[in-house]
Amino acid sequence: MVGAPTASGTGLAIRVRDLRKTYGQTHAVDGISFEVRAGEVFGLLGPNGAGKTTTVEILEGLRASDAGEATVLDIDANRSPEALKPRIGVALQTASLYPKLTVTEVLDLFRSFYDRHGHSTGELIERFDLGEKRNSQTRELSGGQRQRLAVALALVNDPELVFLDEPTTGLDPAARRSLWDVVLDLRRQGRTILLTTHYMEEAEVLCDRLAIMDHGRILESGTVKELVGRHFHDRAVRFDRIDGLADAPLAALAGVSSVAHENGEVVLYTRDVPGTIEGLLAAAEAAGSEPENLTIRRPTLEDVFLALTGRALRD
Amino acid sequence: MRPLIQLTIANIRSFARDRAAMFWTLAFPLIFILMFGAIFTGGGSATRTFAWVDLDGSAASASLRTSFAGLENVELTDEAEADALAAMREGDVRAVLIVPDGYGAALAAAGDAPRPPVTITVYTDPTQQNQTADTFRFVDTVLGRVNLEVSGRGPAVVPEVRAVQTESLTFISYLVPSILGMALMQLGVFAAIPLVADREKLILKRLSATPLRRWQLVGSNVLMRLLIAIGQTVIIIAVGALVFDVQISGSVPLVAGLVILGSLAFISLGYVIAAFARTEDAANGMTSVVQFPLMFLSGTFFPIDSMPEVLKGVARVLPLTYLADGLRQVMVGGTPFAPLWVCVAVLAGFLILCFAIAARFFRWT
Repeated sequence: MVGAPTASGTGLAIRVRDLRKTYGQTHAVDGISFEVRAGEVFGLLGPNGAGKTTTVEILEGLRASDAGEATVLDIDANRSPEALKPRIGVALQTASLYPKLTVTEVLDLFRSFYDRHGHSTGELIERFDLGEKRNSQTRELSGGQRQRLAVALALVNDPELVFLDEPTTGLDPAARRSLWDVVLDLRRQGRTILLTTHYMEEAEVLCDRLAIMDHGRILESGTVKELVGRHFHDRAVRFDRIDGLADAPLAALAGVSSVAHENGEVVLYTRDVPGTIEGLLAAAEAAGSEPENLTIRRPTLEDVFLALTGRALRD
Repeated sequence: MRPLIQLTIANIRSFARDRAAMFWTLAFPLIFILMFGAIFTGGGSATRTFAWVDLDGSAASASLRTSFAGLENVELTDEAEADALAAMREGDVRAVLIVPDGYGAALAAAGDAPRPPVTITVYTDPTQQNQTADTFRFVDTVLGRVNLEVSGRGPAVVPEVRAVQTESLTFISYLVPSILGMALMQLGVFAAIPLVADREKLILKRLSATPLRRWQLVGSNVLMRLLIAIGQTVIIIAVGALVFDVQISGSVPLVAGLVILGSLAFISLGYVIAAFARTEDAANGMTSVVQFPLMFLSGTFFPIDSMPEVLKGVARVLPLTYLADGLRQVMVGGTPFAPLWVCVAVLAGFLILCFAIAARFFRWT
């Protein structure tokens, strides 16, 4: 049932080298490189406008790149998209469903486009928990149901590689969880998945490896553990912003490697927690204040992003 | 072939579940035919009602009444003289016929000696020239027969009536092909709306991530519209024939060929609209801007010859003029606006032009 690992011995489902795409003056994709191994869930994490969707659409054969290599399942996605399309499954950022067709009709329709079939329409409906809605028109579906159907449509041809572009954007927490279960299920079956998201938690839960993208570039890639470990042997010390206390003196405190701001809080990344706090208390006192809501914690993926871009990753 | 067929079925389903599309393509043309048909055939060749005032009350006057009542499309109402004239002023009857007292006696005495003829008074409205002439025709027919009988001679000359189809059409047989042309135009132009909606909803983009080819996508849209066009043609011709007795004289392949050519031409116009409309709302607006001038200025409801010079010039450049004219020529005859080959050439040229523009400017995403 599951697409076999591919890429003739290399074990790679996707290889991207120095990929570029420019719209007018905007460098949507600005020379990125990464690899996706067969059988893994790979995440592209970044804010809206980072270039994730453009990258994915080049790999899906929907857009031509300006330069660089985009090899997908050993096929040049730029040159031979028609050879690629039968072997991949795609769920776009928006569900893109015929509004007046029923769930069953849409699934049957998409099946008719492929020579190779995996699960039957009935099995997909069961598996994606759409049984009650099988005869409903897609415009009557909830956001979560629409997304589950979009993912089901990406599987009608039993693809070797599945692209999920922001699969949970706009969903409520329950619907998001239910979609995560679907993706985790696919991961257990060993299916190769490339997914994009701007939710840290989603990347942490679903992805084997990920790349952080911003302004068309990849800032870092690796497993969640690697990314956190690479940047932070240190801890994050957080406290409410203190008026009159600038970043420069904070950065000069003992052990501090970087300073960032998030939601009115200051975050100090440090290797020397006692030394930093001692210095912070002294600096605050000199400014006629003391740090409120002071917390110390182990850094997360969110901190990695914050440290790399100086910005928080939010919807 | 399977994707093409499945997508065509999906398109037909979407269409059938879209009430607005169903109304404009199927109900709207029928409403036009039924409405205009009812208005313009109501007073046309249907029954004439005359008021019959018999002041004589003899066997001869009763026999005269029978002669009138026996005519086709004539109905008599018996009235007193005052009531009859009142009814005519109201417009309830077309004319008043008054048989004078002494009609029977005068008729009986007619053979004996020359004398002035007895007078049947006929009230008509001289402002209604056609109706008046029509009334005199009936009166002359009947009285001529009476005069012959009284004089005791058979008719010396009788007409033998044979039918020849004239070039002038009744309004309804003019209207049916016109409405068919209009319906095909709308069906084609409206192709823009679901296409733009599908692009806006990223359905076209999603489809392009499958092995489906673009020719299959376009082909399924065109195929679906052609099937609906054939359905429309059958329904409109059937309603024309069954309700208004419009006889289709042309050959089926010729009618079908023009229907398909016309549909393709206007579907490609729909694709041109889709090439320039970014949103579904814009597509809606643009189809209205295109369809209403076509509908009213292409001789759909009135012959182009009866239009003012300026509008004639407009009609001459509108493609629907040539589709409607061509359809009239192959369906019911009538005076052509342009030779059939010109109609076909104009539609084919328009199809190629629109296709080229759409191919150049249409964007899939």
